[in-house]
Amino acid sequence: MSQIIPKTLVQRGLSAHAAIGLLASALLYIVCLTGTVTVFYEEWQRVEQPRAPEMTSIAPEAVQTAIAQVLAAEKGKKPTEHLYVHLPADALPRATVTTDHQAVHVDGRGHVTTRELNGWSEFLLNLHYTLTIPGIVGITLVGGLGAMMVALSLTGVIAHPRIFRDAFRLRAKDRGGVGLADWHNRLGVWTLPFSLAVALTGAMIGLATVNGYGLAQSFYRGDLEAAYAPVFGAEGKPDPRAAPLPDVAAAIRSMAEHFPDVRPSYVILHEPGTAGQQVQILGLHPRRLIYGETYRFDASGRYRGHVGLSDGAIGQQAAASAYNLHFGNYGGLAVKIVYALLGTALSVVIATGTSIWLGKRERRGFRQPRLRQGWNGIVWGTGVALALTLLARRWIGNEAPFATIFWLALALMLAVSVALPERYQVRRALQIVLAASVGALFPAMLLPG
Amino acid sequence: MGVTALLWTGVACAVGAIGLLRLSWGRPKRSIVLNGAGWGALLLGLALGARDAGAWGVAVVTLAATTGAFLCLGLAGMTARPGKAAASNRRVHMLPEGREPLRIGGRLLTFALTVPGAMAAAAIVSLAVRAAGKGLGEANGNVLMLFLMPIFWSVLATLLLLWPQRRRQAALLLLPALGAGAVWGMLS
Repeated sequence: MSQIIPKTLVQRGLSAHAAIGLLASALLYIVCLTGTVTVFYEEWQRVEQPRAPEMTSIAPEAVQTAIAQVLAAEKGKKPTEHLYVHLPADALPRATVTTDHQAVHVDGRGHVTTRELNGWSEFLLNLHYTLTIPGIVGITLVGGLGAMMVALSLTGVIAHPRIFRDAFRLRAKDRGGVGLADWHNRLGVWTLPFSLAVALTGAMIGLATVNGYGLAQSFYRGDLEAAYAPVFGAEGKPDPRAAPLPDVAAAIRSMAEHFPDVRPSYVILHEPGTAGQQVQILGLHPRRLIYGETYRFDASGRYRGHVGLSDGAIGQQAAASAYNLHFGNYGGLAVKIVYALLGTALSVVIATGTSIWLGKRERRGFRQPRLRQGWNGIVWGTGVALALTLLARRWIGNEAPFATIFWLALALMLAVSVALPERYQVRRALQIVLAASVGALFPAMLLPG
Repeated sequence: MGVTALLWTGVACAVGAIGLLRLSWGRPKRSIVLNGAGWGALLLGLALGARDAGAWGVAVVTLAATTGAFLCLGLAGMTARPGKAAASNRRVHMLPEGREPLRIGGRLLTFALTVPGAMAAAAIVSLAVRAAGKGLGEANGNVLMLFLMPIFWSVLATLLLLWPQRRRQAALLLLPALGAGAVWGMLS
């Protein structure tokens, strides 16, 4: 391969790799680390609220009861436009009703028991999706980081002509930068299929909003919903006249009758209690990458067709597969564990990339201790800040200002790292704080609250 | 997760392929036979995964192969002896050294070209592909645009950084964007 790629191209590839890496590494590291933790999104929710009622399945009549109870409790408020019932699944065996106003758990008979308290899990997801930056900016920025990750993979391969030849060579015990470079290159090459998959799907998901506007402006006269409708299905026309609640129980029974191999995961009501209401059931297909298929029912629970995410146009199936492929929730806990390991490896690749660059400069006689201390602050401080938010969840509660705690803690650790003279071993100190925080998490999360 | 005998065979092929490649790449000289057997077994494993469960099967087989490679890598790390090889100090020209100028303007221009510039060009090209691909169907066309845009952006950013001459960079951005714009204009 070294003969195939000219030396000048290799040098330029390395410069390009370093340029993108240095520009994006801090944010990319945060997104990658939070993505790794987010793999266990459902499990975190169970940790956050261990006493919520759990069940392996729920009767269709109980779902009907739950919907009626929740909507009855909201009389006098602005009618909710959407209502979602999360049905018990292997990873999250709970039934939860969410409206525009509230989210509550119900028991096996469909009676409301308690509020859903998953503030930290939602914060974690939001940090990964948008870096907690509101509006279109955050998600587009994260999507852009996905595109840069693809470019990093491309330039990484160009810059290292022996990367495949040396793929099994790991001089882990070499010092002076050799071991670090080997970790970076080996983990980089073996995470290549994974990193390309998560980067591309992440970029597609993150940039879908801004690209959706582009599609809408170019082909649908600015109608964003119309741009997505051919892929994910269209919502019906609203008709605000009052109507009895739909027969959701009949719809669930109809699912079992028509599609016995499909496991319902969500019931979705659009404009519930109005003449324009629609019933949809999201069904999980085993041994598929798609997040599910959307089945439509009328108010009396009669099956009216499905969107086509499972058997429609190839584009629909590809779009529906992007989410599970990105988050690793398509093969139970085993796949999640592999995703978490690969995500950790990818975080190490990003962390070591900048350290390698700093090491090379130092070996050429250009020492930059503040830059190195600052990078250590990002690498180890992100973990500490994340652990602190989880401790805040335990000690302050569901309403704790997680985003503020995370960013303030990270900014503080970064500032202190950069400000302190080199003789203070920032990396060692942060590693100890991280170990202590993670150590404190176990008893904190296990103790009764 | 519903693993069938066919998928298990695919997984076994993929993990075996990693073992073969490890054997081949560990030799002082490349072995065409071992290399071919390794890559062939990997392809066979992926094909069996696809045959059994489509994209899901391919994803599962890929994860198994990657896990196998990580096990080999872990073993390599544990059994490695400390060496005395000198680490690379190749310069990547990211920051000035000594009294070299900072070139802030040039760096900002490179950023503008590779980030917002390449993003805009990629969006125009992928929208033009969507316009040209009317025959694909609406859903396929829209999803193709959503996937192509980040791919074009990554490739453009890579090419722009590989060829740092400004004229080439301008051509890299303008030619596809103008070409796509022209195609789009003709079609609409």
